[in-house]
Amino acid sequence: MGGLLAVLGWALAAGVQADINVGVTLSATGPAASLGIPEKNTIALLPATIAGQKVNYIVLDDASDTTTAVKNARKLIAEDKVDVIIGSTTTPNSLAMIDVVAEAETPMISMAAGAKIIEPMDAKRAWVFKTPQNDAQMATAIVEHMTNNNVRTVAYIGFADAYGEGWWNEFSKIAEVRKIQIVANERFNRGDTSVTGQVLKIIAAKPDAVLIGGAGTPAALPQKSLKEKGYKGIIYQTHGVANADFLRVCGKDCEGTFLPAGPVLVAAQLPDSNPIKKAALEYLGKYEAVHGKGSVSTFGAHAWDATKLLVSAVPEALRKAQPGTPEFRKALRDALEKTRNLTATHGVFNMSPQDHLGFDQRARVMVRIDGGTWKLVQ
Amino acid sequence: MNLQIALLLGQDGVTSGAIYALLALALVLVFAVTRVIFIPQGEFVAFGALTLAGLQADRLPGTIWLLLALGTAIALVEGGAALRQRRYRRIPLILLVNCAAPLLLAGALVAVSPAGLPLPIQVLLALMLVVPLGPMIYRLVYQPVAEVSVLALLIVSVAVHVTLIGLGLFFFGAEGSRTPAFTEVSFEFGEAVLQGQTILVVVASLVLIIALYFFFERTLYGKALRATAMNRTGARLMGISGQLAGMLSFTLAAAIGAFSGILISPITTIYYDSGFLIGLKGFVGAIIGGLASYPVAAAGAVLVGLLESYSSFWASAFKEVIVFTLILPVLLWRSLTTRHPEEG
Amino acid sequence: MRRSPYDTYLLLLFVGVLAVAPAVLPEFYVTLLNYIGLYSIVALGLVMLTGVGGLTSFGQAAFAGLGAYTSAVLTTVYGVSPWLTLPAGLLITSLVAVSLGLVTLRLSGHFLPLGTIAWGISLYYLFGNIDALGGHTGIAGIPPLQIGEVELRSGRDFFYLIWAVLLGTVLATRNLLDSREGRAIRALKGGSVMAEAMGVDTPRSKIVVFTVAALYAGVSGWLYAHLQRFVNPTPFSLTQGIEYLFMAVVGGVSHVWGAIVGAGLITVLKQSLQDWLPRLLGQSGNFEAIVFGLLMILVLHRARDGVWPMIDRLLPQRVLHGSFSGAEDLPRRPRPQAGSVLLEVHDGSKRFGGLVANDRVSFTVRAGEVMALIGPNGAGKSTMFNGISGVDPLSSGTVSFRGQRVESLPARDIARLGMSRTFQHVRLLPGMTVIENVAIGAHLRGGKGFVAAACRADRSEEARLLKEAARQIERCGLAEQMYESAGSLPLGKQRLVEIARALAADPCLLLLDEPAAGLRFLEKQALAELLRRLRDEGIGILLVEHDMDFVMGLADRVMVMEFGQKLASGLPEEVQRNPLVVEAYLGGVE
Repeated sequence: MGGLLAVLGWALAAGVQADINVGVTLSATGPAASLGIPEKNTIALLPATIAGQKVNYIVLDDASDTTTAVKNARKLIAEDKVDVIIGSTTTPNSLAMIDVVAEAETPMISMAAGAKIIEPMDAKRAWVFKTPQNDAQMATAIVEHMTNNNVRTVAYIGFADAYGEGWWNEFSKIAEVRKIQIVANERFNRGDTSVTGQVLKIIAAKPDAVLIGGAGTPAALPQKSLKEKGYKGIIYQTHGVANADFLRVCGKDCEGTFLPAGPVLVAAQLPDSNPIKKAALEYLGKYEAVHGKGSVSTFGAHAWDATKLLVSAVPEALRKAQPGTPEFRKALRDALEKTRNLTATHGVFNMSPQDHLGFDQRARVMVRIDGGTWKLVQ
Repeated sequence: MNLQIALLLGQDGVTSGAIYALLALALVLVFAVTRVIFIPQGEFVAFGALTLAGLQADRLPGTIWLLLALGTAIALVEGGAALRQRRYRRIPLILLVNCAAPLLLAGALVAVSPAGLPLPIQVLLALMLVVPLGPMIYRLVYQPVAEVSVLALLIVSVAVHVTLIGLGLFFFGAEGSRTPAFTEVSFEFGEAVLQGQTILVVVASLVLIIALYFFFERTLYGKALRATAMNRTGARLMGISGQLAGMLSFTLAAAIGAFSGILISPITTIYYDSGFLIGLKGFVGAIIGGLASYPVAAAGAVLVGLLESYSSFWASAFKEVIVFTLILPVLLWRSLTTRHPEEG
Repeated sequence: MRRSPYDTYLLLLFVGVLAVAPAVLPEFYVTLLNYIGLYSIVALGLVMLTGVGGLTSFGQAAFAGLGAYTSAVLTTVYGVSPWLTLPAGLLITSLVAVSLGLVTLRLSGHFLPLGTIAWGISLYYLFGNIDALGGHTGIAGIPPLQIGEVELRSGRDFFYLIWAVLLGTVLATRNLLDSREGRAIRALKGGSVMAEAMGVDTPRSKIVVFTVAALYAGVSGWLYAHLQRFVNPTPFSLTQGIEYLFMAVVGGVSHVWGAIVGAGLITVLKQSLQDWLPRLLGQSGNFEAIVFGLLMILVLHRARDGVWPMIDRLLPQRVLHGSFSGAEDLPRRPRPQAGSVLLEVHDGSKRFGGLVANDRVSFTVRAGEVMALIGPNGAGKSTMFNGISGVDPLSSGTVSFRGQRVESLPARDIARLGMSRTFQHVRLLPGMTVIENVAIGAHLRGGKGFVAAACRADRSEEARLLKEAARQIERCGLAEQMYESAGSLPLGKQRLVEIARALAADPCLLLLDEPAAGLRFLEKQALAELLRRLRDEGIGILLVEHDMDFVMGLADRVMVMEFGQKLASGLPEEVQRNPLVVEAYLGGVE
């Protein structure tokens, strides 16, 4: 009898353990909602099984708030016994979660851009990975483009939040190295109804180019104001604007704007030889099938890439341990770190113990807005 | 800063200030009549603008569902009351106003393609969708607790604000919208261009403020509202029902809010959560007016707009710090010069 | 204070439950309790500030930010021990609170809440724009707290610290509110004029309660920084400031337990919605905020004063009878010699704009006499009272009290010299018991401050104050009603409470504004008897009264006022015969 119970118990336990639990916390509401919503939409498209194991996705909204993000992480770990956490959307939220996941020895794949999330590598960050390109990577692309186009002076206007600040930090550093002079550094709020003051100051400084560090439709306001006040120089945006709503709101004022982006934005224009094209088109197809043509944003693709990492790492981890165990999480972490040549929608991952992003030049392209669409700059 | 920049900033500040002034007036009105500090005032700005944008994009705006839901809820509440009091004759009217009218509107929106309609009709439709939400919210949320403390009413307002923000995200998504300008006219001053829409905002605000003045001074309803604001009990004794005054003030507030949103959506992008900050700045103006004086509130609102504009030029990262720190001395001065009824 | 007789048991039960909670609850519940504890500490400050003191603040989150950021910077940049950053954080918080308080607490009415919004927003953007504070991105890597060798890393370790702090603040708050200074705070909401006339320095009380609330928030912020080990501006934004106020009001903003109930209810509700809504409505939208808002509207409809009062109503109530019988009597002020001039008003005038309410009125009141001030309504009698007592100073003229010029002193300083008064429109704190109301009168006869009150080092003085209050209540014939709430008494009895309160100040001069209005015949007789006794003790009494039988039977001298001017004065019989007075009173009956 006792033996039977033991067997039953084992069978039940095995049945429960067979599922892989993936915890997701993202900013589906609050200031970062325009980033978090496509990510959330993408979660619904993710594979239901990985390596023959059923996968449960537990999705929580952190309302773009660090306290809630940490609370969510604690909940996912303690209540849902997740094997891995995907999230969060913003850099502060992801930074705040590091201590929690490191203590629980649970791997985490962030969907935020800040390099601080994985640098400098230490015992805590050993558990943290990320899928979006670092701001520095994108900023380098812009600065290179500026240098090639004889831009000598540039003005920056960015969000008065972690996004605008992250871009400013990286961009100003790289621009200085490349001898581009920054003549103005302005901030605005997502919800501001007017940026006239900032724009007048920028125009008065007569820069060759302006970089707008904002995400989604709010980034259109400075651009429209610049045009309205007669600014004629080159305008750069960041990859944060890469969604259809931005084009809708910005309209003709955004023609000729340059921005760096993940290749997924212009997947169809990539040469067939580029392996990313196939991966990106697969995601685009799935997303647009559900949400309509032109609905895709590059942010959702970060969530997709996070699962790509899992799909490649889980079989390796399964060989070592059962899901739901500390050993599995450890093995998963190790396997994630060993990701090599994994083609995803935004680039090709080559992780190492020092680099938990592992993207190279292929992870970014320059894009120009042309005729109301994104055009790959060759 | 040269003169041209100073002028442009001033014009920008006045434009923002005009909108803040409208909202400040609405806030003063609602507070004076009902003692409600109407935090969701800003949501009407966003709802008005985004409903119009939705109509122009040929989408059925989510606000219609809210209208239907609130109408049904009121019909249930009032119908239930009528049944209990055996006043069956009132029921058809209740159903007509609260259920049939919104349904008719919804039907009309489905039947015709709103994107093809001329702009004034679209604006009218947007107002018809959004403005009734004001009195409906008053009827359902505030009227049952009309007698509680100002603090409790304020907290109810916070709850309404949270709900409406959630609904706004659900209806309109996280991304913003703009609507086409009412007028493409523009004037050139040297190198600078002054958009016709900007002038329109200021002129329309002024016209609206003057219209409100005549409403309060010359019309029966306006006088009734003023009477209620001055003395609630007295007004009730004179046969002006607090409920009517409340509904009326919320209708006006909703109309002012939605109209402000429609006015500014061609010159800026409006998001589902834009309203709070715009409303907050209107609130600052309203407070400078002591939540009692309309002209001072309007002047305060314009002051906020100007402060904002100039500080965004001088130190944009510290804009809010400057605006809100400079507000403190103004508040202090107002506080010392305003006589409060003892222990108000 | 009114409390349930089981209050102590409830508290013990609460502590007991808390003590075992981490051992039996799943990890995440402990985490939730930690957050509830952190929020409760801030909300508790709001209970004191807003619920009790009547000062609405939206800026508490910014104070939590000060505590959190101080510790974050000092520990990560300078390697200071987290235990040392607590006092540093509290120091900074109180410096900021006092300086903000000095500016914003002068704001009256709605200007104050807006003031708190203003600096709440300013501090938030300062946190975000100063590079040394990590900017908008925030500061990571804050070290955990350490007790001895043990690092408080897990939620379970932290639990005891948070809830010990919370319990400490709960007890301190309760002690404070049940004290001399606490009564002064409770008088801030709707009773400042009265409190000032009783000698309470209300601006100081405001600053102190404001600072205490800020310090609570600062402690919570410090705990937060080390629990989270990461800070950035968002948890200290205006939105969070509004949320704290929301918690306090939903829980019951006038009640200490309301803070904990509110913080708990809102945290648990949000959590449950996060769990249940996706199961009910699917993953497609974000309905949490919508449903949360709707539920809160419902709660506020059903529980208008918050949730705690509803729970409290279910608990049996008993009024706490203080034990002060063994206390010593308070020392009394030396009596001025009978017949010496106490009060001398010379050419006292008061103008409100163009209206002259008092026009060059002069009179004196001596120790050991009853001086009555009579005249038709609107003659300026109460205005004169307000002018003498400093509640609303005269426009011109001089007032000397016990040989000292007082016309430009604030009411509380005049009270200190030995003048005490009642108000024509009764100014009691209706929610407080009669004895507590009367004890406010004895405010100046005690000296123990906030800290002493919070840690109960004020008990012997408190007993003496209450004993004095009880003695005056008995003198005024209200012994039966001593522990009833003042608002529940009929108006006539409330007037007697006012007199008892004025007497508790041990005055030399008593200003009574229509004390007999609303009293029954026997009560009037008793009152007259009391006033005669007081007169015989050597107290000077200035009396405004409409009941002529009462006045004429009691007063030694009478002054008649009309249209703000002195019409006549003299002995009662003289005045009654004065044709001018007859004219004024009878309106020239032919």
